[in-house]
Amino acid sequence: MTVTQPPSHDARERTPPRIALSLTINAMRYEIEISPSATLLDVIRDQLGLTGTKKGCDMGGCGACTVLVAGRRVVSCLALAASFDDAVVTTIEGVGTADHLHPLQAAFIRHDALQCGYCTSGQILSGIALLSENPGSIAEIREGMSGNLCRCGAHPSIVAAIAEVAGL
Amino acid sequence: MNAHSHARYEALLKVTGQARFEGEIAPAGLLHATLIEAPIACGELVSVDAVEAPTRPGFATLVTHDDSASLKSSAATTLIRETAIHFHGQPVALVAASTLAEAHDAARAVRIATAARPAVTQMDQALGAAIAPEMVGRFPAATRRGDVATALGEAELVIRNRYSTQVNNHHPMEPHVVVCWWEGPKAVVHTSTQAIFATRATIAQAFDMPPRNIRVLARFLGGGFGCKGQLWWPWMFWAMLASRKTGRPVRLELSRAQMFTLVGRRQQTEQDLALGFANGRLTAITHDVVAQTSAHTDYSDSTAVYSRLLYACPNVSTTHRLVRTNEPQPVPMRAPGTAPGTFALESAMDEAAERLGLDPLDLRVKNFADHDQETGRPWSSNSLLSCYRVGAERFGWADRQKRKKRDGRWTIGFGMATTLYPAIRQACRARVRLNGDASLVVQCGTQDMGSGTYTALGQIAADALGIPMAKVTVELGDTWLPDGPFSGGSQVTASIFPAVQSATAQLRAMLASMAASDANGPLGGKTSDDLDFEGELIRSRSSNAAERLSDVLARTAPDGLVAEGESAATDHPKLAATGMGHGAVFVEIGVDSALGEIRVRRVCAAFAAGRILNPLLARSQYVGGLIGGIGMALHEQTLTDRATGCILGKSFADYLIPVHADMPEFDIAMIEEDDPHLPGSVKGIGMLGSAGIQAAIASAVHDAIGKRIRHLPIRIEDCLGPACDTAQR
Repeated sequence: MTVTQPPSHDARERTPPRIALSLTINAMRYEIEISPSATLLDVIRDQLGLTGTKKGCDMGGCGACTVLVAGRRVVSCLALAASFDDAVVTTIEGVGTADHLHPLQAAFIRHDALQCGYCTSGQILSGIALLSENPGSIAEIREGMSGNLCRCGAHPSIVAAIAEVAGL
Repeated sequence: MNAHSHARYEALLKVTGQARFEGEIAPAGLLHATLIEAPIACGELVSVDAVEAPTRPGFATLVTHDDSASLKSSAATTLIRETAIHFHGQPVALVAASTLAEAHDAARAVRIATAARPAVTQMDQALGAAIAPEMVGRFPAATRRGDVATALGEAELVIRNRYSTQVNNHHPMEPHVVVCWWEGPKAVVHTSTQAIFATRATIAQAFDMPPRNIRVLARFLGGGFGCKGQLWWPWMFWAMLASRKTGRPVRLELSRAQMFTLVGRRQQTEQDLALGFANGRLTAITHDVVAQTSAHTDYSDSTAVYSRLLYACPNVSTTHRLVRTNEPQPVPMRAPGTAPGTFALESAMDEAAERLGLDPLDLRVKNFADHDQETGRPWSSNSLLSCYRVGAERFGWADRQKRKKRDGRWTIGFGMATTLYPAIRQACRARVRLNGDASLVVQCGTQDMGSGTYTALGQIAADALGIPMAKVTVELGDTWLPDGPFSGGSQVTASIFPAVQSATAQLRAMLASMAASDANGPLGGKTSDDLDFEGELIRSRSSNAAERLSDVLARTAPDGLVAEGESAATDHPKLAATGMGHGAVFVEIGVDSALGEIRVRRVCAAFAAGRILNPLLARSQYVGGLIGGIGMALHEQTLTDRATGCILGKSFADYLIPVHADMPEFDIAMIEEDDPHLPGSVKGIGMLGSAGIQAAIASAVHDAIGKRIRHLPIRIEDCLGPACDTAQR
């Protein structure tokens, strides 16, 4: 096998294009410059360091990156950040804190609705949005949560936690 | 030891997004890496032309096989030292850049030249070249007892079938990731691994450096299920080489598509199974397995091993063979061996029951093995008969034929099967520190994949010393801690238990002696066997006297106390008894009469696996395992394109796994066992749920539509057509 490389390299000082973006995340205002191709997930997780939002597939197939935009669920890995100027975003860090848990977070702990925890942020955010849609039955919760994959198999406890908060 | 459903230790961190997974460590100057993949399934890497890549914005470095020449030769470095290409998508170079997008861009500018050779892209292309491994895991690959040929010849009934199972992929929600850097001669490696100490040892060997100069951390793992082990190491090494070349921290994370090719799979099996019966008793079993392995490394599940010992049978023959294909390497996955093996054996038992006119449950009871017939040893404990009885009662098995067989458009069917998994331990050390304020720190260098190891470690120590969980800190996932077990084979809890018990026993002895030696103290003069630890007190059993732990410590050891415990691995040749966990799984399924869709409606499973430490977390393990089993039974298959050797549909859009809408009702019974042979009567439980249920579902499908389906996954297309009797039943 042969490897051909220049003896030394200087990456050209081409400044990649950047665009300005305003975001409100968890009631905090961010004025940032982003790459035009960045996803909302890239911005939240890598650029702003809010790592509670997870990358599971980067193709909108698993729901681990779910955040709320104006209260609605969005898979942030499929959301082009540049198209979310002035958006109001909620991530898991904005849902509740150790001292002031959201009722659904508390229910997740009570029902042991997690194992590894990697899908948990997305499950909780998706669950909060689903609760605002007033699910009428366990079957509706299951259907409404099916975009959020879990591989450990915590599904029944996740649905039980959401059902409890929904009063079902 | 008391069973107690303490809440999961780290749950608060996980529900608030504060649990920091290793890929989220963000040191200054971090570079992002990506792998360049071979576009052929078999051949040779000829050249890497990287003239243009360094001109791309953000480019930092390229790592190729040339760089791997500095690594020592070992199994873990073969793929990065030798330029042979064994499977489609095998990495041939790594590029690191300032951002991930820039790394992808620079990687696209690297020109790879390969020389292709004809590839074996499916098992059936090379059946004639199958090889026979010596061992399957820790078991001999081929065994024979009695006279199988004669017994089959004389049997009143012979059930002889071929069963096949498809390739599955593990797909933990967190992809493999490493963030690594060098501090002079020392390496710091944050990575999602199920085995920090094995990772450290392999780095030490490859980089020829002392283990003490390597720190591996895996404090939170987003799942593993068997794939976060050795197959990740070569690509992690390349990230470490990139860091060494640049002097900067490097992060490499696999894409979801790479989770199909680079980190292992459950191997495809073709299993020929024959059961012979006389008077309803098994007289002969032959179980011959052919399975896929890669072109570069042989791996075999212990698929037929459990046919040697699950039932009483005097004549048994088992073999395993492997077909090397230019496909990704298999590794253990959730219930390795038992999941595919029980699918064949338990499906055949159901068919035998039908032919013999017996209830499938009665046939199992009748063929119960009262000892391990393969080794001749007794069971260390075995409550399988209780599992059958309790599971059947709770499910309503005896009344199932009275239930209606239709529910709207659904045709209903019932099935049951047995599951089992060996109870074994690894060597382990653990440290327990009791602080002056009677708070506790428990340390062990193992990992928590999500299975509850944080909670188990804390709970064992807290219970032994009578300290509430709220005052316990658990530290794991760091090679600076005492050597702990790798997370696999349902062994962690059983392995840490005796080590933590040993450490807490030492602390109890010290504390008892400190309390008793103070003549003026409330426990002065008491003997240590009179003293008990509960509610943060040391208490006399014989009198009302008690003293607060914190008072004893303030008086005699204000800086606290530390003890280390150690425990040994299972010594297989010297075992007096075979340790095994068991379970019985009962399912109700529905088949859509018009569309052929299969739904699992109800699962009742009774498990017997020693003493359960935490019923809340144990239930979660069992249910999670059963859901994994439903995936294998009805959803999951990884297919290879015959022409190119490329894996087809490398995404969650094409690789189906069970989702919320697929969930049945679960009813879990846990049957407690006292086991005199196992420390604390602790057996592993993680694998039990993921076996047995596949055969139970297949049998239930037969019960519903009258068709025996002997392959997995069972899909809609299997439940449509003239052979499927959905309308009349």
